[in-house]
Amino acid sequence: MADLHQVPGASADQLTRRAPAPDPSAGPRRGTGRGGMHGVLGHRSPVRPWLLLAPALAVLAVLLLWPLVRVVMISLQDYGLRQIASGESNYIGFDNYAAILGDSFLWTVVLPNTIGFAVACVVLTVVLGTAVALFLNNLGTFWRTVCSTAIMVAWAVPAITGTYVWIWIFDPLNGLVSSVLDSVGLIDPATTNWFTERLSFYAIATLNVVHHGFPFVAITVLAGLLTIPKELHEAAMMDGATPWRRFWTITAPILRPVFAVVTILSTIWDFKVFTQIYLMPGGNGGNKEVFNLGVWSYIQSFAQGKYGMGSAIAVLLTLILLGITVVYMRTLFKEEEL
Amino acid sequence: MQRRSTVAVTGTLLLALGLTACGGGDGSGEATGDAASADHTGETLTVWIMEGTNPDGDAFFDEVTAAFKEETGADLQIELQPWASAHDKFTTSIAGNTTPDVAELGTTWTGEFADVGALTDLTDRIKEAGLEEDLVPGLVESATLDGAQYGMPWYAGVRSIVYRKDLFEAAGIEVPTTWAELQTAAETLKAANPGLVPFPVAGDSQYGAMPFVWGAGGDLASKDGDVWTSEISSPESVKGLEFYTGLATEAGLSTAAATTWKETDLLSNFEQGNVGMMISGSWTPGKIVADVPDMADKIGAFPIPGETEGLSDSFLGGSHLGVFAASEKQDLAWEFVEMMTTGTFAQEWGNQSGYFPGQTSLLEKVIEEDDPLVAPFAQQMVEAGASVPVTPLYGQIQGKKTLETMLQSILSGSATVQEAADTAAADMNETFGS
Repeated sequence: MADLHQVPGASADQLTRRAPAPDPSAGPRRGTGRGGMHGVLGHRSPVRPWLLLAPALAVLAVLLLWPLVRVVMISLQDYGLRQIASGESNYIGFDNYAAILGDSFLWTVVLPNTIGFAVACVVLTVVLGTAVALFLNNLGTFWRTVCSTAIMVAWAVPAITGTYVWIWIFDPLNGLVSSVLDSVGLIDPATTNWFTERLSFYAIATLNVVHHGFPFVAITVLAGLLTIPKELHEAAMMDGATPWRRFWTITAPILRPVFAVVTILSTIWDFKVFTQIYLMPGGNGGNKEVFNLGVWSYIQSFAQGKYGMGSAIAVLLTLILLGITVVYMRTLFKEEEL
Repeated sequence: MQRRSTVAVTGTLLLALGLTACGGGDGSGEATGDAASADHTGETLTVWIMEGTNPDGDAFFDEVTAAFKEETGADLQIELQPWASAHDKFTTSIAGNTTPDVAELGTTWTGEFADVGALTDLTDRIKEAGLEEDLVPGLVESATLDGAQYGMPWYAGVRSIVYRKDLFEAAGIEVPTTWAELQTAAETLKAANPGLVPFPVAGDSQYGAMPFVWGAGGDLASKDGDVWTSEISSPESVKGLEFYTGLATEAGLSTAAATTWKETDLLSNFEQGNVGMMISGSWTPGKIVADVPDMADKIGAFPIPGETEGLSDSFLGGSHLGVFAASEKQDLAWEFVEMMTTGTFAQEWGNQSGYFPGQTSLLEKVIEEDDPLVAPFAQQMVEAGASVPVTPLYGQIQGKKTLETMLQSILSGSATVQEAADTAAADMNETFGS
């Protein structure tokens, strides 16, 4: 045991190396002597990995797969309170999907809002997060700890709380921003309400989401930056490369997998933003101009009791995200193969 | 033993009667008589009550639990539910067959849950108790589906106008009795107090607009046979909406921020002293005084005036107590419902929460007391209370915020009143299927 603690890597290595060694001689003996017992769980049997995976898969199936299947099933039904109460099903084929896809509201309002907002948020989150990470990377340990703690606070604030803070800051009548702009004579609070305009509404929502999302990117990218060998940058500096050049030829290529992860995760999060929109003034259904897929799905399901329609919107959102992820992963891995 | 089995049998019988929504009440008359004196020791009745209506709910329900135990021998398990998530929780419990025995139901939910067979028909029970003539009509209407009553009126609230009495007096303004006077009062108020928002028109408050639709002779929807049709774009309704939103868009008596205000925003701005008068519920003066004690002698209330005379109708909201059909303790459940909705406890609940009892005789007592912050609301409720269309479909329309959408598009200037009302009417008719 003492050895193991001193050189864990080496002993683990030895153990694995030792394991196959007796095989040639032991194998046949096992095969003939105790074949019955080992046949089922033998290392060539396809059953064993699945047995080991089974507990995790069962949990995933119950917690993730079944709800997903249910949502798809409900999306194919005209499903309301009556069906919930009676437990009956009421299949109508793809009518819900036809209704949604045939609704000009989807194409002129909901999709542009969802996609435009997500693109803006993802770009800003990743750029700002990376910039902050680079900044943190150049700090000493003490200040890096102080600054990352401060950043983590923005991340730790629950979405609901954060949203209300932004609403207060931008409150058209008494908010900080409107008082400042009013005192320099730029706006008249009595005639200004930025929550009613689609663009200004989403600008505030973007601030909120980027503010809440950039710490994750910053911390993840910082973790990646810390793994880049200093020698690379030193060598590049010797060659006279500018910081800009060094970022694009050293940092960016090495961190490509990190960027892939943060971009995909941010895309998924920013596509399905709900709380931050729903809680904003006018965002809870009173102003249809600012609907996104999440809010639309919620209003259909829970406010109107059309669970089938709401589920169909949710499935649509899932498919879009799946599509984006697949395309993104493919381009990423193709580039790496080249 | 003998007694117990009789109760069980009559209980089952009643349950059967309730489930078949039977109109006749001959047999069950005796049954309830038996049940009232029955001993329910050892049983527990589960009750869901909405959180926050009564600021001192715990003490109230301690009293109720003790009294109920004395009366029936049974225990009460009161579970408080927040309004915001209650509807989802009801839906889930109906699906999973885990409904409570009795629950407080928002008046717009009763029809919806009754429609799917989740609630017990209480018509006969109410008749036997001799209560049918003594219930506030607006609340009975919203509890009734296809001639059967599924909810027992518990308490009601109504919106009138809460105003700053001190500012009115300082500017020499009389309480308005017509729409024109209302507008003049707001204009005078504005002239005297430049920083004030004299009459905010809240875009996220459907109930603020309704009195003006009804006051102008319009309506939200009308029923012809079985089919509902929207009336929101009728000339009368549009005239009312034009006046109401015109206070903001033309007379400049509101503020742009109010376009996205909910009723809670109205209230908090009123409490901050930014607002001259507002459409507000009977439960709010108590809250204002509790939050800002300085305001106690500065505020007053008056019923919403009619266009040229009388009063404009205002939405009568509130809660029913309903018994769930899946409950095995129908008799006990009704005893609890009766205890809560009539007599002392109903009166006490009203006094503590700032709502009005659902029993007419109790309501009349409240009116006699003539509290200046209560009487105007009581008058509004008795003389000019109205209900939204009683159909589960209207719940869907409220769910998609058709009226709020209409108001916000008018207030933000993206549509004219007629355009916005036409859109809203089309939206409503889509749900009505007409």
